[in-house]
Amino acid sequence: MPVDLMPASADLIRLLPEIVLTLMGTLLMVLAAILRKRSSNAYGNLSIAALLAALGAAVYAYTRQGPAFGNMLVVDGLATFFRALVIVVGILTVLASYRFLRRQGAETGEYHALLLFSIAGQCLMAAANDLIVVFIGLEISSLASYVMVGYLRDDKRANEAALKYFLLGSFATAFFLYGVALVYGITGTINLSGVRAALTAPESCLQAGAGSVLCVQNWLAPWPIFLGVAAALLFVGLGFKVSAAPFQIWAPDVYQGAPSPVTAFLSTGPKAAAFAVFLRIFMSAFEPGGAAWEPLVWFSALASMTIGNFAALRQSNVKRMLAYSSIAHAGYVLVALTARSADGAAAVMFYLGAYAFMNIGAFAVVGHLAGKGERYQDIEDFGGLGQKQPLTAAMLTIFLLSLIGVPLTGGFFGKFYIFKAALESHLVWLTVLGLLNSAVAAYYYLRVLVMMYFREPSQAAIEAEPLRPGLRAALLVSAVATLFLGIFPNWVLDFSNKSAAMMK
Amino acid sequence: MLIDTVLFYIFAAMVLSGAIFTITRRSAVHSAISLICSLLGVAGLFLLQRAEFLFAVQIVLYVGGIMVLFLFVIMLVNLDLAAKARQFNRAWAVGIAAVAVVGAEMAWFLYRGRAAFHIAENGGAGLGSAAAGNTEMIADSLFSEYLLPFEIASVLLLVAVVGSVVMAKKRI
Amino acid sequence: MNFLDQIWLIPLFPLLGAALMLFFGKLLDPQPVGQASGPAHHGQAEGLPHQTSLRKLIDFICPGMVLLSFVFSLGAIYQLRQLPGRVYQVIQFTWIAGLPFHMANGHLATFQADWGFLLDPLSSVMILVVTGVGFLIHVYSTGYMAHDNGYYRFFGYLNLFVFFMLMLVLANNYMLLFVGWEGVGLCSYLLIGFYFHKKSACDAGKKAFVVNRVGDAGFVLGMLLMMSVLGTVKFTDVNAILRSGQFPAETAGFGVLSAIAILMFFGATGKSAQVPLYVWLPDAMEGPTPVSALIHAATMVTAGVYMVARSAALFQLTPSASAVVAVVGAFTAILAATIALVQNDIKRVLAYSTVSQLGYMFLALGVGAYWVAIFHLFTHAFFKALLFLGSGSVIHAVGGEQDMRRMGALKNKIPITHWTMFAGSVAIAGIPGLAGFFSKDEILWQAYSSPLGSKALWFVGLATAGLTAFYMWRLMNLTFYGRSRVAPETEKHVHESPASMTVPLTLLAIGSVLAGWLGTPKLWNLGASFHKFETWLAPMFATGAAEPAGEAGHSASLEWMLMGLSVAVAIVGISIARYFYHNRPDIPDSLEKSFKPLHTLLYNKWYVDEIYDFLFVNGLGKGGGRVFGAFDRTVVDGGVNGAGWLTRFSSKVSIWWDTWIVDGAVRLTSFSVKLLSYPACLLETGRVQTYAFFVVAGLLAFFGYYIAR
Repeated sequence: MPVDLMPASADLIRLLPEIVLTLMGTLLMVLAAILRKRSSNAYGNLSIAALLAALGAAVYAYTRQGPAFGNMLVVDGLATFFRALVIVVGILTVLASYRFLRRQGAETGEYHALLLFSIAGQCLMAAANDLIVVFIGLEISSLASYVMVGYLRDDKRANEAALKYFLLGSFATAFFLYGVALVYGITGTINLSGVRAALTAPESCLQAGAGSVLCVQNWLAPWPIFLGVAAALLFVGLGFKVSAAPFQIWAPDVYQGAPSPVTAFLSTGPKAAAFAVFLRIFMSAFEPGGAAWEPLVWFSALASMTIGNFAALRQSNVKRMLAYSSIAHAGYVLVALTARSADGAAAVMFYLGAYAFMNIGAFAVVGHLAGKGERYQDIEDFGGLGQKQPLTAAMLTIFLLSLIGVPLTGGFFGKFYIFKAALESHLVWLTVLGLLNSAVAAYYYLRVLVMMYFREPSQAAIEAEPLRPGLRAALLVSAVATLFLGIFPNWVLDFSNKSAAMMK
Repeated sequence: MLIDTVLFYIFAAMVLSGAIFTITRRSAVHSAISLICSLLGVAGLFLLQRAEFLFAVQIVLYVGGIMVLFLFVIMLVNLDLAAKARQFNRAWAVGIAAVAVVGAEMAWFLYRGRAAFHIAENGGAGLGSAAAGNTEMIADSLFSEYLLPFEIASVLLLVAVVGSVVMAKKRI
Repeated sequence: MNFLDQIWLIPLFPLLGAALMLFFGKLLDPQPVGQASGPAHHGQAEGLPHQTSLRKLIDFICPGMVLLSFVFSLGAIYQLRQLPGRVYQVIQFTWIAGLPFHMANGHLATFQADWGFLLDPLSSVMILVVTGVGFLIHVYSTGYMAHDNGYYRFFGYLNLFVFFMLMLVLANNYMLLFVGWEGVGLCSYLLIGFYFHKKSACDAGKKAFVVNRVGDAGFVLGMLLMMSVLGTVKFTDVNAILRSGQFPAETAGFGVLSAIAILMFFGATGKSAQVPLYVWLPDAMEGPTPVSALIHAATMVTAGVYMVARSAALFQLTPSASAVVAVVGAFTAILAATIALVQNDIKRVLAYSTVSQLGYMFLALGVGAYWVAIFHLFTHAFFKALLFLGSGSVIHAVGGEQDMRRMGALKNKIPITHWTMFAGSVAIAGIPGLAGFFSKDEILWQAYSSPLGSKALWFVGLATAGLTAFYMWRLMNLTFYGRSRVAPETEKHVHESPASMTVPLTLLAIGSVLAGWLGTPKLWNLGASFHKFETWLAPMFATGAAEPAGEAGHSASLEWMLMGLSVAVAIVGISIARYFYHNRPDIPDSLEKSFKPLHTLLYNKWYVDEIYDFLFVNGLGKGGGRVFGAFDRTVVDGGVNGAGWLTRFSSKVSIWWDTWIVDGAVRLTSFSVKLLSYPACLLETGRVQTYAFFVVAGLLAFFGYYIAR
């Protein structure tokens, strides 16, 4: 068989964001070795440049939509949305990291290089159309983030968090691989388009790259539930990444222990990418067997919302509280997934977009206030922030109101579309319980608001240094985006609707 | 055929017992050697499936490369103290029960859904056309169909290397 | 100048004021360093300085913005009169456009919501109340809050509130209405907790916010359901669809329209403080008095009434939902009135009175008399704002005292306050000629005569009217007449309030006297200009043939008789109060002694808060010990006064009917915290092996499901 090793140029264009990120990541490490310069903003500036270039590449790739590398990748609306989202998350993370790293005396090229690699992995997940690519992307993203969690090596909490995250992450990924094996066993392929074809048509053929034609039969007929088993195994790996119950158990410890900018990144970037994979696998490939996996997602959605919200009520550490809140938010997104409709998929995308901004913003403020060595993480430490730093407090107010879901913020519309999609799919109970859950959630976010405005300044608020330009930019961008999504949700919504409709 | 079956059970026993000893032995050296045993068993299973290339890779990379490195490290680092330390997690029973139940459930699923599996025919068809042999076929598919995963796996390895260096470096 | 085209300016002015205050207010009103802001006790507070000249600017900006809105509203309404159909709708820009979705009947619909304003007779009444009464209260606040810190913050929130309230009433669809709905809730929360150094104030703010959100969940569900059934949330479209006959009236059973109506009404019970979600309003009195007057009497709490009236087309098709509204309204009215009988805090009496009057409005809505509900809302805004502001003036005069047992004989010391409050009390009691009489009497007549009404509802309304007259005159007597019980050292400082407070009082008093003449009974035959209110609102509710038929069924003499009866009841209530608390002050005490259990029951507000505590806070969480303790105490008390069984019995009965009453998530939360978050947190052992086990356990659960299936 003649083998053409040179991929077509269209293929390369469709992979361009990942190529840019990987190259720049490598370059950063080389520069770090040459420059040997510590405490410099150069690395951060460079990685922002890299991310902007990647953003441009992602948009450029969107103009040349289609499959690449023999259907291993596919560039469509969904892929572009999530690529852009994780890249923007990366930019905000870098902006929030400048001052944080300097304060901890830990500015190195490696931090930024790992961040870029992790984002490259997430971009790959967003565009992957083959379970093996999904897996590799997942591993690139995860390995980099394990190290980032434990990046401050003198911090015991961070070390513990990194170890836990690494061990449990590998454990969960093993289940994911087993699921991949089962999918292969059932359908004879791990290409997601192939899986979908195998599950729909009694017999169908598709172009499987490099001229070979793959014919598959609908082998699911003997026992449809089997697909559910495979879905459950895949769900372990992905559910772990998005911290959905019952695989949420690591999140509070890791989120609390990790450096705040890394937590901000962790709770948004990998989560968004994993949900992109969720959409690809569950809404596209496994869509024909929806009845088999729907109960799983239903249960997980409810459990995540309930555990997240109720456990958050008891927390006094803000990072831990936000960790539980992020579990709950994963639950809301799963509600939209349970709807199994194009509307639901669009709601997932919109919600993750809004959620990324508000959550990064909230964690950035937490990291800002925590001070050197992240001493101040308690809710009490937010006392009087409204007096000492009105701007910071106002931003945090916007983020928290959005997390509550108050109108005129992106969080409101996110929730609104999710519950609308759920109701249209006749998930009445899930909708009712979800709304009650979000009512409960208001309480713990409110506690922070009360602290900020209705208390005397705490030691932390007095000691807090003024906002530095980088962090200020990150907060402003997040706040403006949060409000923008609440007042003009149309842009993002149109795009996500269009992408969701095209997904199948 | 009988020989195949017998060999299969021998290799399978190697894999399982090796794995069990790996996690139960106190001495790190013993654990590593048990792991080698387990990996050799996997290599044998590959050979039984006529996957010569994987068989060779398994032996050269895992047994020859990685495990020898492990042994070096173990012998360089003094682990005696760790060997004598008391196991602080005593929930063996729960762990074993959980593993047993998951195993039983998986077995039941595979039994119940066995009709859904048709790998043999598909794989057989693939092998049938392979006059050139397994190794060449793998090369073909790696460099054509699976070119992208093959290439990006190098990024994964790069990240792993960078990560371990960052974690191990004296001063960041 | 075309005011209708400039309608967007009406909400914009207060928003501008709020922005100015919240961003730059600190420059105008520098806070004294190191001094905690808190409730400055009036009377003793003269010594406090920081009345800077810049601060005067705030006095002009904030009330001025609301005045501008008022002027623009008047102009817009004047021009609205000349429009055919008296409906003016303008869409400023599209908010959410072209969302295709499948409706419940399978049709594909496109969902759209705009930033659009709808000015019609209904919203015109509302904006007049919001801006008019709002302006007077702003002016009053410049006097009342003069000695408080955070002056700019207060006015910023107050202006922001007016903005959201105007958005609420001017919105042309339910989505935008919901923006205002949440916004006023947020402002209410901020203003209740304005004295944030008082823990009770913070708690009250939180309680209000969370209880309201429980109601909001109902509202959102109703809205989503409406969207999926009707395919639109725009008022005009919703009304057109519902009145087109596409959906038959659900007279027999309980259909999807009834479900929408009930869900929306549940939202209204949160915002408008009806059973079961009324518990937050009395606590909300922790806020400054002008806030109580503006938000918790005149405007925000009437949002629920407005929303139900706005959905009249929906409720007209759902008699069973309307019946629920009427019964809940009547029940709330009498429940709150009985509690108000024995409260000693002057503001709490008024708070329960507000709950009770809101109950009247819902009673009117429930029997299909929508214009009457809005009419009562209109008159109530005047006299209840007046009473609250008057009580604020009294509190101001006696140096922050709110307990009526330490007032008395203030009549001559603060004459203007006395006379204005006198007018307000006469109005609310229902004496002919003043505002309250006309609206209340119309409600009673509708409750009696409307096809949806009944004699029972009428009787409850009548009894409530009697109770209202009694507790209002109890308040008047305890405060202004009789023997002075003011503490001697404050006695010296008692003084009339400044003009900035008395002028609004006077204007509101004039309103309380005159406002009712816009809707005199038809029986009186006073000519068209005295029925203005009904004719103005008539096109809104298109009552069709229903009401005239109801009118025709009853004779004029019957209506005269009922009217006479309600006046008689009011007079009896006033006389008894006068006799008890003025002529024979010993009677209430002896009554209290001989009816100890009943008094205790009422004084403790039917033990509703305690029951919620019992059910949701102490209940399962703290285990039996506390419960048995409480039980013991009641038993012992019962043994002592020999009548404890009544208390116990009634609270037991109450537990039954309150089991399904949810006192909002405040109590629900603390209850659920105990129940649910323990297991959720117990999982967090910190051990990685345990965590790995939980991952496996989760998988096991999933697998188990497939095996079981």
